[in-house]
Amino acid sequence: MQKVFNNKTAIFLFVFPGILLFALTFLVPIFLSGYYSLRDTLAPGTPSTFTGFANYTQLLFHDSRFWLALRNAILLGLGFIFIQHPIAIFFAIMLDRLGGKAEKWFRTIFFIPCVISVVVISKMWLSLLDPTFGAFNKLLDTLGLGMLKHAWLGDSSTALVTMLFILIWAGFGWGLLFYYAGLKGIPDEMYEAASLDGASGFKLHLRITVPLLSPVITVQITLAMITALKQMETVFLTTNGGPGDSTQFLAVYLYNKAFSASQYGYANAISILFIIVCLLATYLSSKLTRSDATEF
Amino acid sequence: MKKSTKIILWVFFLIVALVQLFPLIWLVDFSFLSSNEFYSSSILKWPSDPQWQNYINAWVDGKFLRYFLNSAFVTTVTILLTVVLSLTLGYAFTRMQWRFRSIFFTIILLGIMIPIHATLLPNFAIFKALGLTNSYLGLILPYTAVSVPMGTFILTGFLKSIPKAMEESAVVDGAGIYRIVFQIIAPLTAPALVTVVVTTFLNCWNEFIMASTFLSKDALKTLPFSVMNFAGQYSSDYGSQFAVMVLTSIPAIIIYAIFNEQITKGVTAGAVKG
Repeated sequence: MQKVFNNKTAIFLFVFPGILLFALTFLVPIFLSGYYSLRDTLAPGTPSTFTGFANYTQLLFHDSRFWLALRNAILLGLGFIFIQHPIAIFFAIMLDRLGGKAEKWFRTIFFIPCVISVVVISKMWLSLLDPTFGAFNKLLDTLGLGMLKHAWLGDSSTALVTMLFILIWAGFGWGLLFYYAGLKGIPDEMYEAASLDGASGFKLHLRITVPLLSPVITVQITLAMITALKQMETVFLTTNGGPGDSTQFLAVYLYNKAFSASQYGYANAISILFIIVCLLATYLSSKLTRSDATEF
Repeated sequence: MKKSTKIILWVFFLIVALVQLFPLIWLVDFSFLSSNEFYSSSILKWPSDPQWQNYINAWVDGKFLRYFLNSAFVTTVTILLTVVLSLTLGYAFTRMQWRFRSIFFTIILLGIMIPIHATLLPNFAIFKALGLTNSYLGLILPYTAVSVPMGTFILTGFLKSIPKAMEESAVVDGAGIYRIVFQIIAPLTAPALVTVVVTTFLNCWNEFIMASTFLSKDALKTLPFSVMNFAGQYSSDYGSQFAVMVLTSIPAIIIYAIFNEQITKGVTAGAVKG
C-alpha cells in the first residue's frame, strides 16, 4: 500500500503537468508583470526605461481613480452580502419548504440567467434600460411612475446601483443553489428537536437554519467579496467604467490603461496591486469569518 | 404544511419566477419584431408578423455555425484537460505521500483568488512572443489553467470522503497506481467530476475578455463574438441583434436542461463538504 502511494514517477506524472501549466499562465506572467510595472513601457515589446517604483507611488498617492475603483468594488461586495445573499437564503428556505416537483422546477428556472453569456446579459440589460425603447422605463410609465424615468446606466448617480442590480439578477441563481444545497445537508432531526422546544416558522429558521448554514455563508461571503473585486466583463460591456468613473473597477481600469491609453507599464502596476488586494481580501475574510463558523 | 400555505408559496414563486425571467421573455419577444415596432409603448407585444428574417440575419451574419464549432472545440478540449489534471492533482494531494505537497496545494489554490484580469496583460505579451495568439491553444491553455484550481479544490474535498479501503483491496488484487486512479477512483468521483465539467463548461463557453484579447482572426472566434460583431454591423436593427442574442444562448440552455440534476447534486456534494 505505502509503496503504491510513494510511487515517485506517478507523483511526478500527476503533479508536473498541472503545476507547469499553472506556472506558465499564472506565476511567470505575474513576475513579468512585476518587471513591466517598474518601467515606463508603452506597449509590450517596445523599448522602455527603468523607473523604479514611480508607477506605484503615482498609483497609491496621486491616482484617485485607483481608490475609486477599490471603493466601488467594496460597495458592490457589500451590496452582494447585504442584499443578494439574504434574499438567496430566504428563497432557499422557502424553496425547501415547497417540496415535490415544484421545488425542482423553480430551482431550475431560477438558475437560467446563470448559464447565459455575460455578453448577452450585458447587451440585454443595456437594451432593457435604454431610455427610448427599453422595457424598464416603459414599465415605469405603465405603473404611473413616469417621473422616475431615467437613463439608469447613463447617470453617474444611479449607474453603480443599477450595476449592482444587474449583477444580483445574473448571479442570484448561484447563491440560491449554494444555500439550497447547504439546507439539504441539515439533518431533519435538528428541526424536529427545535419544534419540540416550541420554535416555529420564522423563529425556527432564524435560530436553527441560519446558524447551521454558517459554514456555507462564510464561504459565500468570501466569494462575494472576491467576485466584487474581480468584476470586469459586465462593466466593460455596459458602461466601461463610466459615466465619470462612477462604475470604475480595477480590472476595467487596467485594461483600458493598457490597451486604450498605451500605458502598459502603469497598467501592470495596477495588475500587481490588484493581485495583492485580492489575496489580502481573501485572507482577511477567512480570518474574520472563521472564528464564528460552526461545524455540524 | 397546510394546503393553503402551499398554494400561497406556489403563487409567490410563480410571480417571482416571472419577474426574474422577464428580461429573457422580453428579449425573445422583441427578437421577432421589426425595429420600428420597438418604439411602441407596450412592454410586451404579440408578434403578429414574426420577423424570421431577424434569425436568418443572426445565423448568417452572426456566423453562428462557425463560431459555435469553435466554441464547442475549445470548450471540449478544455474540459477534458481540466478533468484529467484536476483528478491527478487532487489524487496526488490527498493520497500520495510526498514532501512538498502542502506547499504546492496552497500554490494551486492561489489560482482561485488571483484575478485572471491581472494576468491578462503579461499573458498577452507572452502569447504574442510564443505565437499563441490567434490559435486554439491560446484559448485552451489559459482556460484550462483557470479551471484547474477550482477543479482540484472540488476533487480534493470529494476524495477525502472516499474510504481508503477501496484502494487497499485494489492493491491486494495487484492493481497499479494508474489503474487505481483511472479505473477505480475516477468512477467513484463521478459526482464531483460532473460539477467540474459543468462549471468549466459554463466558464469557457461564455468567456469573452480573454478571447477578445487573444484572438483577432475571424476564423477562430467563439460564440460571444457573434453578438459583438453584430452590434456594429446591425447597429440600428435591434430585432436582429436580439435574435443573435437568443440564438447564442440556446446551446447553453440546452446543455443546462440536460445536466440540471447533476449540477445540483454536484453543488450539494461540494457545498456540504467545502
